[in-house]
Amino acid sequence: MKKYYLIARNTWDEVLTYRTSFIMWRVRSVIQVLTIYFLWSVVVPPGKTLLGYSQSLITTYILGTLLLESIVLSSRSYIVGNEINSGNLMNFLIRPINYFLYWFSKDIGDKAMNICFSIVELTLIFLILRPPLFLQTDPFYISFFILSVILAVFIYFFINFLLGLIGFWSPEIWAPRFIFITILGFFAGSLFPLDILPKTIYEIIRFLPFTYLLYFPIKIYLGQLSFFEILSGLSISAFWVFAIYFMMKAIWQKGLKSYTAYGK
Amino acid sequence: MSIISVSHLSKHFQVHKKEPGLSGSVRSLFLRKYETVRAINDISFDINEGELVGFIGPNGAGKTTTLKCLSGLLYPTNGNILVLGFNPYERKTEFLKNISLVMGQKNQLWWDLPATDTFLLNKEIYDIPDEKYKIVLEELTKLLEVEDILKMPVKKLSLGQRMKMELMASLIHSPNVLFLDEPTIGLDVLMQKKLREFIREYNIRFKATIILTSHYMQDVEQLCKRVIIINFGRIIFDGLLSSLVEKYSPYKKIRAVLAQYADPKKIDRLGKISRFEYPELILEVPNKKANSTAASILKNFQVEDITIEDPQIEDVIAKVYRENKR
Repeated sequence: MKKYYLIARNTWDEVLTYRTSFIMWRVRSVIQVLTIYFLWSVVVPPGKTLLGYSQSLITTYILGTLLLESIVLSSRSYIVGNEINSGNLMNFLIRPINYFLYWFSKDIGDKAMNICFSIVELTLIFLILRPPLFLQTDPFYISFFILSVILAVFIYFFINFLLGLIGFWSPEIWAPRFIFITILGFFAGSLFPLDILPKTIYEIIRFLPFTYLLYFPIKIYLGQLSFFEILSGLSISAFWVFAIYFMMKAIWQKGLKSYTAYGK
Repeated sequence: MSIISVSHLSKHFQVHKKEPGLSGSVRSLFLRKYETVRAINDISFDINEGELVGFIGPNGAGKTTTLKCLSGLLYPTNGNILVLGFNPYERKTEFLKNISLVMGQKNQLWWDLPATDTFLLNKEIYDIPDEKYKIVLEELTKLLEVEDILKMPVKKLSLGQRMKMELMASLIHSPNVLFLDEPTIGLDVLMQKKLREFIREYNIRFKATIILTSHYMQDVEQLCKRVIIINFGRIIFDGLLSSLVEKYSPYKKIRAVLAQYADPKKIDRLGKISRFEYPELILEVPNKKANSTAASILKNFQVEDITIEDPQIEDVIAKVYRENKR
């Protein structure tokens, strides 16, 4: 197990090598948070509601998705595609190391760093601006929130890995990924809460995996879902975790057989 | 005991072909032509424990593909491979812990971090005990003379330095079976020599089985008793290097510097003249007659200097490649 810990730690070291780039990246995420916060606090003034969301709920929703994005949607496993094409994959196949766990450890390193710095930054923003945020105190919602985030991390990791595996058959991995990002921007609920969509459309996208990446955990946190809704949501996302995992495994095996290890 | 055994191994690739130019690109959007490349075509060989075998062939002959099949990177189209009793493609942990593939152009080091970080990671990956890790690392460091660059980020290293670090990373688990794919590429002459010595020593000390590919015939000549020559995916020679020389070049060269001009016709009776520019004379004679011919030259002519030369290994190999053209 220690090897995977070392991989995560090396990832930290790697990120911290480029100090300026790292600081700029953090500055960027703070500015992004502030922009969105000010935008929404103008759209929904205190005391008013918009589509059932009060100011504190909508700001919590939007800031929450940003925080979750840095945890859930920070996965570098799409690089797998480049590794396949550059022949770098060989370095892993030749060593007794699990390639999935390798990337997962790298992601954990990345995510741990994001979480640490986000907490510091959010605390600062919170202390300075004192925004009207909704703080969930019910341990019931908090524990289900954490559970749903963990499932979301897996779903996103597997989907990303799956997209990387396209590299076995085509050197062009950017186009599918671009389409995926576009779809994600809409269906994951990072732009707006999904339940402001017409009910029929919402009923359909409720069964897609994307819904469970950001929207679903935040809704649990806000305490807006019933126990039954939480359970059915968790089952659907658990279903996707396994479905995509097995799909990824099967495609990985198939890809390895056709692997030509060219380039090197 | 046979450590590596390969029987009727073939590996074919599907490659898509495109006519040159824009029209070709547009056409290939709709109609793709695939061609099967037979990188390896029905090869068989056995390698025993502790053997150091040279695997040679021109560019694109299938050397690297064979090594990749042997180390489990590629799934063979046909045939069977057994390495240390394992089917390489299954990539069992026990198998991977005992082999290593060193490629001249491979990069397993973490680019932004010092090489030691990669070594430490490999230590965990291969479950190397602390004591053993220390000893091996020290030994490799001394041999490759890299003490001062161990802690430098890999991206700051020169090509040759990086090559050494790659080599160290690949050997840190002391594998029993080594596949070396052009290990001396990019190294300076002194380092090439050192590396050769290291490989020989490694082979003897650990009874390691080694397959080596190289385009530097020096590597092969100094290290390998046995060579396997492969071309167009087929084995065209498998045997001792010395018998290869005998088979393809049964002649030796006698080089003499004459003290006095001699009639070429007289010399012609002794052997085939390959060059005669007074005072230098080069004769080509069959191996067995080399000594007697030299003796009679010394007896019948006034000679300042005489040497008998073995054919250059490069020339022999080049001849083998030429004669086995498709």
